[in-house]
Amino acid sequence: MINAIILVFAGGALGAMLREFIMLMVPHVEGFPLDILVANLIAAFLLGLVTALHKRAVLNGDVNSMLGTGVMGGLSTFSSMVYGALILMMTSTSDLTVAILYLLANLILGYIVVILGLKLGGDGVTPAPRPRIG
Amino acid sequence: MTALDVMWVGLGGGIGSLLRWWVGHVTGRVYHGSFPLGTFLINITGAFIIGYLSELFSVDWRDRYGAALNSGVLTGFLGGYTTFSSMELDAAKLNGSKGAGYATYYLVLSTIIGLIAAWCGFALARLQG
Repeated sequence: MINAIILVFAGGALGAMLREFIMLMVPHVEGFPLDILVANLIAAFLLGLVTALHKRAVLNGDVNSMLGTGVMGGLSTFSSMVYGALILMMTSTSDLTVAILYLLANLILGYIVVILGLKLGGDGVTPAPRPRIG
Repeated sequence: MTALDVMWVGLGGGIGSLLRWWVGHVTGRVYHGSFPLGTFLINITGAFIIGYLSELFSVDWRDRYGAALNSGVLTGFLGGYTTFSSMELDAAKLNGSKGAGYATYYLVLSTIIGLIAAWCGFALARLQG
């Protein structure tokens, strides 16, 4: 228990700082929060990868807590994504369109990269386990 | 961005991640259905709080650091608390177990309720201020 607390805290702190550094490196686009999109996509891809490697027992539970729950959770953000979109939506009609496209880009590309991460880690998303026969 | 901002982001991110882990843990003990309720509740409450605090303290959404409030709380704590990556991973798992329709429903529902929650926080702060 105490191990998990330390690992999630340290991972989350590292992830949040990494997100800020990534966002500072992404070129600024006026009226489109590209920086949050990039941080979210990197996190989603890496979370898929870590999850698959954990499932194949390449990474143990502690590493998974630190990287998957901590770092990738801290690196990605949902609150800034929806709040940025909300502010755009309230600005003007053309910004409303941009906000909807921005959210769709996050959701669709995020989904694609998490699948890519899982595949690269050697695990397609496995269906629910079948009941054992016999 | 100063070293102090980095420290606030890290501290907030660590505490927010711990809270996310704990909320997920508690939700998992109470609820056993297929809907990713833990991540959903975390993201919705985080969206409400960011809308509320940003409007209450008049923080422009593009200003992510410079003071303890925006670097420690908005960028660090709420960024660490809410998660986009887990939401997408949940959707990928749902696609495997419940089909693409349910996965799409979960993603779209999270985003729309998240927008409404952020707006409610924003509106509440307007009412107060």
